[in-house]
Amino acid sequence: MKRLLIALLAVIMLVSVCACTKDPGAKDGVLKIGMVCIGDENDQGYTYNFIRATETAKKALEDKGIKIEWVIKYNLIEGEPVAVANEELAEAGCAIVFNNSYGQEPAMLQVAGDYPDVQFVGMTNEGSWKDDLDNTHNAFNRIHEGRYVAGVVAGMKLQQLIDAGTIKPEEAVIGYVGAYSFAEVISGFTAYYLGAKSVCPTVTMKVSFVGSWSDATLEGQAAQTLIDKGCKLISQHSDNTTPATTAAQNNVFHTGYNADMMSAAPTASIISTRIDWTNYFVYAISAVAEGKNFDADYSHGMKEGEVVMTTLNTDIAAPGTQEKMDEVIAKIKDGSLEVFDTSKFTVNGETVTSQLAIDKTGDFVPDEGEAISGGAFHESQVPGLMSAPYFALRIDGIEWLNEAY
Amino acid sequence: MQKTVNKAPLFHLTKRPVLKARETWAIRIASFFVAVIIGCLVFLLNGKNPFAAYGNIISGSLGKVTSLRQTIRIAVPLLGTALAITPCFKMKFWNIGAEGQITAGAIGATFFALTFPDLPAPVLLLLMGAASVIFGAIWAFFPAFFKAKWGTNETLFTLMMNYIVIGIVKWLQGGPWEGKPGSQIIPNFSKNAILPKVFGIHCGWIIVLLLTGFIFIYMNYTKHGYEIAVVGDSPNTARYAGMNVAKITIRTMLLSGAICGLVGFMVASGAHQTLYHSVADGVGFTAITVAWLAQLNPFVMIIISFLLAILDKGSGALQTNMGVPTSVSDIITGVFLFCMLACEFFINYQIIFNRKEKKEEVKA
Repeated sequence: MKRLLIALLAVIMLVSVCACTKDPGAKDGVLKIGMVCIGDENDQGYTYNFIRATETAKKALEDKGIKIEWVIKYNLIEGEPVAVANEELAEAGCAIVFNNSYGQEPAMLQVAGDYPDVQFVGMTNEGSWKDDLDNTHNAFNRIHEGRYVAGVVAGMKLQQLIDAGTIKPEEAVIGYVGAYSFAEVISGFTAYYLGAKSVCPTVTMKVSFVGSWSDATLEGQAAQTLIDKGCKLISQHSDNTTPATTAAQNNVFHTGYNADMMSAAPTASIISTRIDWTNYFVYAISAVAEGKNFDADYSHGMKEGEVVMTTLNTDIAAPGTQEKMDEVIAKIKDGSLEVFDTSKFTVNGETVTSQLAIDKTGDFVPDEGEAISGGAFHESQVPGLMSAPYFALRIDGIEWLNEAY
Repeated sequence: MQKTVNKAPLFHLTKRPVLKARETWAIRIASFFVAVIIGCLVFLLNGKNPFAAYGNIISGSLGKVTSLRQTIRIAVPLLGTALAITPCFKMKFWNIGAEGQITAGAIGATFFALTFPDLPAPVLLLLMGAASVIFGAIWAFFPAFFKAKWGTNETLFTLMMNYIVIGIVKWLQGGPWEGKPGSQIIPNFSKNAILPKVFGIHCGWIIVLLLTGFIFIYMNYTKHGYEIAVVGDSPNTARYAGMNVAKITIRTMLLSGAICGLVGFMVASGAHQTLYHSVADGVGFTAITVAWLAQLNPFVMIIISFLLAILDKGSGALQTNMGVPTSVSDIITGVFLFCMLACEFFINYQIIFNRKEKKEEVKA
């Protein structure tokens, strides 16, 4: 019996060794595309938003006659595991490897040089304009435009509460759950605040940082702290829906990021803004399929349809919100409205007239690229430089609750 | 052997007489195949062809030069840490703080990497290595000292020390060593602070192979090694023989921490090329399994750590090539570890079924 078993197993092992000699990846005419994700689609937020775009992009590419197969690796945050994942995807024959989070880029850059024929994309990242590699790219769409619009929606709701006498004008406080205290997040919540202020002049904002892109518990706790400090509306730059559900439990309102959070918090979540990555995926992948180069730094916005708003929750939004939103979006699209109009905000009581965008020397202090011209701070659009946000001014009216992060 | 015929339970366990080497290896190999079969079931339940899946594990970890290199890269810290905890475990001092000692070593190395990025590579690397050894040893000293002086529980103590040092790294990430403001990311090391590669793998693999020989000699052919063995078997005997148990405890733990620290230097400088809070990545705990499976034999540890690295790397390939979720690969790894550990039980004990009044050997 035992010998039979061993003989049987020996055969099994032999077959499996034979099975492994054929390359599992190579299929004719199908382009393999890799992606390394910080989370998985269960977050119903950040990574879910990417996964959705991979599916729509696949369909759109099929219509153009390009067949692709996605190879996606999940829950990789930083360090060597990310480097190994990038290497594995390149080895598996992927033509492009996308990385979807900020912390992954240093690991991606360790590997990119070894595979000059594979294109590496750090999405929401910033290294490609200064690394010496030809096969690295960054893409960061202009989400501050969407946040500005979401801010308008939030401001209208607060103004409605003020007009109805539910809250006093000075009680119009927005609470913002942020991941880390660096440019990407600062740019986002400043745009949001300016949007709200454009329709609710008395609004102020408190920001609480979590120190993580994705930590459902901490995000919920931060939202609770903000509500306890008197915030009447919560927004977020973090990956989970817990800020929305916390807002709902406390009967305050909420606007979201990455995904429609109405289903998680129907009584609280008014609207979300998100980046639609479909166009970028289609653009980058079809360029590679046709043997062409594609931009090293890519940043599109509402005009190109790559930053979008989710459906407005008309049950709780203030009356006239949709009309106002349409008006603001139209102005952003035709360029007549600048999100960071320098006449609309002050830093320590003064108007800002000059701000450099880019750090070239590596000391993390900006030393190149004037971002302010024509009375506005131009986010993510200094020509030839990085697509990632660089607005990091601390404007008046926004209070940081914790500076540690 | 006593037996009660009436009202006896279905079976009972007895200690086996010492088995011949051939028999123990037969049990080990059989248990390996049991793991393979259970693994097949797991793959079948997930609708994957088990042959293709195993094929993928093997080809994904050994099939190409690059994948073989990655597999070795995974095995290096595992082996290094298993070697580091060997003297402690031989002494029955349960150092489960390797994770923290690795992290402490990485902090020491990172300090020099960030402070003197432009020193010539050999000088800088030596400084980093020395700092990592000292930091690792310091982190191991506290639990050893408390154990030697006041008999504190070293298991809890070393475990708690892990969380403290990981907290320190988080603070460094957001505070003094932060790169881009607000990012909580320590910048990558300069080129001079990165371990050179030999055959495409950072040279940590040479260091751990040398360490293997060192630990083997240290444990088997030195006075220190003998003292450790005696203290492990019976501290009272050691005292009676005039050994200073406190001194031996602290000395052994310092050695263990120093080697862990060196592993921290290798992973920070060779693999991650930066420092972050999960720089040890669970290696400190997996290494305990490696050490036990190898029964504290340094040369067997090479094989075991390599096997675990194959499973680890192979599961990555499974996800890439067959869409098998990592959770399933984790189950497979668990099954293999369980079977490998369980077979030690069947080597030491046998099951006797009482009903038949007759000894019956049960397959592992």
